[in-house]
Amino acid sequence: MSTNLESLATLARSPHATTGTSRAHEGELVVENVFHRYVFAGRDTEVLHDVSFRIAAGQVACVVGPSGCGKSTLLGLAAGLLRPSAGTVRWDGTPVRLGPNPHLGMAFQQPGLFPWMSVRKNVAIGLRTRGYDRREARRIADEFLDTVGLHDFKDAYPRHLSGGMAQRVGIARALALKPRLLLLDEPFAAVDAFTRLKLQQEFKSLLALSRPTVLFVTHDVPEAIALGDLIVVMSKRPASVQTIIPVAREERDRASPAYARKLAETLACLGVTSDMT
Amino acid sequence: MATPAIAAHAPPRLSLRALRVVLGVAGVVVAIGVWWLLSRLLAHGGGVINRLPPPLAVFYELVHYARGDLWRDLVFSLRVFAIGWGVGVVLATVTGLVLGRSQLLGDIFLPIVEAIRPVSSIVWVPLSIVWFGFGLTSKVFLVGLAVYLVVIVYAIDGSRRVPPDLERTATMLGMNEWQRFVSLVLPGTLTEVLIGSRVALMAGWGTVIVAELVAADSGLGAHLIGVEQSYDVPAVMAAMICFGLAGFVMNAAFSFVERRLTPWRHDHATETS
Amino acid sequence: MTSTQAISRRVLLPAIGVAMVLAIWEATVVFYKLPAIVLPSPFAVVATLVDLVQTSAFWRDVGVSLYEFVVGYAIGVALGVAVGMLVGERPMFRMAATPVIESLRFIVPFAWIPLTILWFGTSYAGKIALVAYAVFFVMVVSTARAIAQVEPTLSRVGTMLGMGPWRLAWKVHLRAAAPMLASAARAAAAIGWIAVVAAEYIGASAGLGLMITNAATSLTTSVVIAGMIVIGVVGAGVSALIGAASRAWLDYR
Repeated sequence: MSTNLESLATLARSPHATTGTSRAHEGELVVENVFHRYVFAGRDTEVLHDVSFRIAAGQVACVVGPSGCGKSTLLGLAAGLLRPSAGTVRWDGTPVRLGPNPHLGMAFQQPGLFPWMSVRKNVAIGLRTRGYDRREARRIADEFLDTVGLHDFKDAYPRHLSGGMAQRVGIARALALKPRLLLLDEPFAAVDAFTRLKLQQEFKSLLALSRPTVLFVTHDVPEAIALGDLIVVMSKRPASVQTIIPVAREERDRASPAYARKLAETLACLGVTSDMT
Repeated sequence: MATPAIAAHAPPRLSLRALRVVLGVAGVVVAIGVWWLLSRLLAHGGGVINRLPPPLAVFYELVHYARGDLWRDLVFSLRVFAIGWGVGVVLATVTGLVLGRSQLLGDIFLPIVEAIRPVSSIVWVPLSIVWFGFGLTSKVFLVGLAVYLVVIVYAIDGSRRVPPDLERTATMLGMNEWQRFVSLVLPGTLTEVLIGSRVALMAGWGTVIVAELVAADSGLGAHLIGVEQSYDVPAVMAAMICFGLAGFVMNAAFSFVERRLTPWRHDHATETS
Repeated sequence: MTSTQAISRRVLLPAIGVAMVLAIWEATVVFYKLPAIVLPSPFAVVATLVDLVQTSAFWRDVGVSLYEFVVGYAIGVALGVAVGMLVGERPMFRMAATPVIESLRFIVPFAWIPLTILWFGTSYAGKIALVAYAVFFVMVVSTARAIAQVEPTLSRVGTMLGMGPWRLAWKVHLRAAAPMLASAARAAAAIGWIAVVAAEYIGASAGLGLMITNAATSLTTSVVIAGMIVIGVVGAGVSALIGAASRAWLDYR
């Protein structure tokens, strides 16, 4: 599998990423004093209250926090789907504007596959909307599907896929766009625990080789430690950043005491103590 | 669904409810404005009939009708409707329970019901007139048939759909067949029948209209045909509005009653409406 | 369930049911010595049906009714889906249009019949307008509802892939709403077909509705019943055709 992953990562390595750091802020996502409120069911709700953090180019930031704390809103802001009520979100040093961002790849808790398209078309459609011709889009889609081990399912419709397979297609679709910024909204939350661990592993190997900047929203603290370079811990609504916890390489080894300490530390920030007595 | 995203970045100048009212009123005003403009344009088209009277003319006609025969006609139509609807609901409930609970009878007769169901009661109008003449019986038959064909589906469905966990509870409580029927089957069926009877309102009311248009001896439909034959377009439109209003009032009233009778189905409704 | 039991449930018992109904029908006619004006025997109806299909007037009536239906239906579906998409996609438009649509919806299509006669006479245009009106409202309401129910992730994916609002509406929302639209199109066809028949009762120069009212007036009851059967069969055929077409289109399910 790992050779496949390497070749997938090579495919995913974007031309932009190899052009070097000509600009100081290239590949950097900065959230600066962001406030966000919206009106829902007649009530004016504040979701984000003065949120600030920075993800350096090629880093993976995992956002954890209680449910309903505005994690998905944060992703929407970074993606240009929403506009902050106050503050700015900067990508490559310039404020994110509403509308599609060509550097962006995104995957969600639901794989979000179009049920009326074959698996191959689902991956190719994104390339088509970004101007690739039909044959080229198809070729790239095939390559990505081969490398996530789905080449027997290219002509299948999404309903024939298991949850884990559908999620692989969703991620292949995001990576096929060769994004420099990858936004993930709990992509492994809806699959079973075992598949989730496998997908995390695959995903980590992919990232190690193609190095996009990643904003990863999850409610699974072990997942955040396993994948993140830093963990952004949010408070409950209206959410602000409670702490930012850096994760060192040795702390990812599940068998190590360092991992246990990091897990306890992060959970304590979320109000879960390890003291069971 | 793009709504939350759009609501999210719009600065909250006006509350959503206020916006809805303002835009709704604007929509109605625009629609009436277009109607008025069209009536001005067509007025000079020449022809014996004023094909599209202005809104105000229709309104005056409505007031005129309301001061005159409207109530008599309405009572005729509503009586036909109420009797037909009641008969249809009761018959559908009884046959639905029998066909739904007895497998043998269901197997024998359900295919026939299924074959007749898609054939709207409207198709029966001429035959009904041959059989029962132009009077009340014929219209009651048609309305009853329309309502029956809608409600029977809900009755069968309700009688068959006793949740398995309730079945187990009943066994645990040691209920006999009759007790099961009264406490499990009947309430489930009646709730479904209630929904079906509301769905059947519009089918039944539509049938009243057609029946009265064809066998025009009394009621709103007969009035409608009468003014149509005297080429009185404003009066025709006023009568149409009366049909619409009556349908609306019945629907609203029944929804209200339904909500009162089955409060457990509508817990969410107060939140969303 | 064994296969013999299945056959007995699906074929034998319904056949017994049909036989019983026909037997009761025939027995009633014979026992009460009903004249054919009141209730012809089932055999007489079948004989009438056989005679009818051999006349060109009958096929002309079928053709006229079908023509009025098909044209009106096409107009109603096209306009209804277009307006329904606007209502579903644009919250401002939805808020402005909802009261107008809801109040017009309560004036059932049948109530428009006299007005269409005043406007269009007994021509085809009146029936076409009526069918279009009936179908339009069914499609507007279902399209708007279907679009509101599209899985939100699909919209986000579309935006992520770089689709603008109109492309998203056309390529993603409408396509995702297709299964609901297909069943709405089927319900609308049933309503539209009945609207044609009802309109022909009241003012028409040809068509199946006119055929059976004329037969009723001249008390040829067997033609009335035969006509009802034909109307039912054509309606079922139209519905089956739309069902088959949408199944072929929605093969991914």
